[in-house]
Amino acid sequence: MSTGSPNPPATPHVKAMNCPGCGAALTLRSFTQAVTVVCESCHSILDAQDPQLKILQQFKKATDEDPPLIPLGTRGKIRGTPYEAVGFQRRTIHVDGIPYSWHEYVLFNPYKGFRYLTEYNGHWNDVSTLRALPTLNSFAGAVSVSYFGETYRHFQTAQASTTYVLGEFPWQVRVGETNDVTDYVSPPRVLSSEQSGKEVSWSMGEYVSCRDIWKTFALTGDPPVPIGVYENQPSPFSSDTKTIWTIFAAFAILVLMMIIGFASFARDEQIFHGDYVFDTNSRGEASFVTDPFELKGRTSTLELKTTTNLGNNWIYLNYALINQDTEKAYDFGREISYYYGYDSDGSWTEGSRNDSVAIPTVPPGTYYLRVEPESDFGHGMIHYEITAKRDVPQFGFFGIALLALVVPAALITWRSMNFEHLRWAESDHAPMATSDDGGDDD
Amino acid sequence: MRTFYLLYGVITLGILGMAEYRGWSLYSVNEVKNVPRSVRDNPGSYRSVYSVYHHYTGGK
Amino acid sequence: MTQPTANCPNCGAPIVFRWSSSVQTVCTYCKSILVRTDVDLKKVGQVADLPPNSSPIQIGTEGIYNHHPFVAVGRIIYEYDQGTWNEWHLVMNDGSAWLSDAQDNYVVTFAAPGRTLPPSTKVGQRYIWDNETYAVTTITNAHYRGVEGELPFQYWDKEDVVFVDLMSEQGKFATLDYSDETPALYLGESVEFDDLKLKNLRSFEGWQ
Repeated sequence: MSTGSPNPPATPHVKAMNCPGCGAALTLRSFTQAVTVVCESCHSILDAQDPQLKILQQFKKATDEDPPLIPLGTRGKIRGTPYEAVGFQRRTIHVDGIPYSWHEYVLFNPYKGFRYLTEYNGHWNDVSTLRALPTLNSFAGAVSVSYFGETYRHFQTAQASTTYVLGEFPWQVRVGETNDVTDYVSPPRVLSSEQSGKEVSWSMGEYVSCRDIWKTFALTGDPPVPIGVYENQPSPFSSDTKTIWTIFAAFAILVLMMIIGFASFARDEQIFHGDYVFDTNSRGEASFVTDPFELKGRTSTLELKTTTNLGNNWIYLNYALINQDTEKAYDFGREISYYYGYDSDGSWTEGSRNDSVAIPTVPPGTYYLRVEPESDFGHGMIHYEITAKRDVPQFGFFGIALLALVVPAALITWRSMNFEHLRWAESDHAPMATSDDGGDDD
Repeated sequence: MRTFYLLYGVITLGILGMAEYRGWSLYSVNEVKNVPRSVRDNPGSYRSVYSVYHHYTGGK
Repeated sequence: MTQPTANCPNCGAPIVFRWSSSVQTVCTYCKSILVRTDVDLKKVGQVADLPPNSSPIQIGTEGIYNHHPFVAVGRIIYEYDQGTWNEWHLVMNDGSAWLSDAQDNYVVTFAAPGRTLPPSTKVGQRYIWDNETYAVTTITNAHYRGVEGELPFQYWDKEDVVFVDLMSEQGKFATLDYSDETPALYLGESVEFDDLKLKNLRSFEGWQ
């Protein structure tokens, strides 16, 4: 500490002054760091570094034409440091003749300096100036920049003009001044470069939810609902999509292992076989019963295969698989038909000579089959064989399971792609092939 | 989202395993009860609906 | 370290040098600019009223840069079209450095002599010093506005000077100072306020 210093630097006070344009009271919240300050009453833009507050520009707007959502003077803690909103501006770009405007808030802390918040259609970003330069990459027409290992894709280049100002700014502002602004995105971050004449300045923004803004500044009411997808808005899907497909791959391998497992461990044993002839010319009782056979092991399927020698004919077999001991039966019918012939396109066939059906969950026990064949009268003899096999794996279920697993993964991927489509629809690189392209400045 | 999918997949595979082990099939059959033993001697007497009675009670 | 003491030739007030290699200082009582010769102190000029300053750093602020403790012993104030900024002279155990403080953006640089420097340049131009590529980001026309405390060289009443700021992709910073006929280069980097661990700062009305 210097000895005997007679005039230690005075503690800076928030300055209160009078606007030279209209006499209204002005406060300079950023002490002497402001370069321009705007009078709230008469909208004169004043030189804050000039003790006389020289008038630099006057713009005609109603005082409450565009009220800041965070009132100037409000304080909030960002990353543990308190900041005060000291300035506000609206900037506008034109895309295909349509104006799009966003708002910027200047935040101040006397030790840490300035920070910014941007707001567009309810989407907020926490912005600060970069301390290092990003590397520009251009390859195969796609422009991007890299910054500390992360790649940011070009989103938009536009000319932004200042259309409304309020409060204090650490640089010269004028209503109507324009800068070339380029945004590069890597959600949730965005890198913006701003060029004006001799100066290029880079800043990085990080997407912040409107609820966090309202909480940080203890604002009343509800934040405006965000509209659409913003350039660096983080996707609620993207990281999930990759993981879900990885999980699906793991499940698919499991299903494959289950197929192999069940195929090898299933008994698949032939329990019964019989050859029969159905005389369609006979009018007697066609039904018959087979000898009993034993079904062993756990409850599982019984596959009934019927092979015939049908030729341009059909047969309907009423089947009943009857449990001798429990007096329960499985009752069903199978229609088998087979036709063939020649026509102008060549030979054709319809139907099949053979049929196979799996009776589900048949408990072990002693069973016999009761068969009653039917067909058109007088069409000769139909020879058929019946084979019963125990515990045959049902491969259809594996297909259904895989489908059930693919569908949600595909749905989430579709939703993610849709989200990204909405994001890029606002950019200079809109994915649609229609005539309205976002920008001409690629 | 990922945990939901994981759980959903585990349940799906669980059902798949159950289906294969218990012998489910995509085909559905009618289950008939109380089939009398006399069907073995007279297959023509089988009727696909049997309820309370152990013997044939009426009709042709 | 011994602190050489002397008396101000103008008003007789005691002058204390915190740094043995200081060449110039300003008398805190009468604001005379004093230059140290082999034998005594000589008055060379007068500092006009300093502009109001809201830097949180003041003479006597201490901090740490890259494990080296420092004390801010002096500053040069520059003025340009956007306002003023300070170049604080930092004294460390083994030398001195500069802390540039513009709207609370902090940059620490060290004098880097002995390089071939361009007589003029433009925004976007690239240079390589010490295996690092720098690109010009800003060219500022400034003029000297005042001095305070101890400086390692004589500096006062300079005419308009041109400062060129350069940044690299690794966060390194460089300044080309065209105050004299031969340009001077300073190399360093941007620093965060928290990383400097500053003590003995100014306090601000309404904050903390």
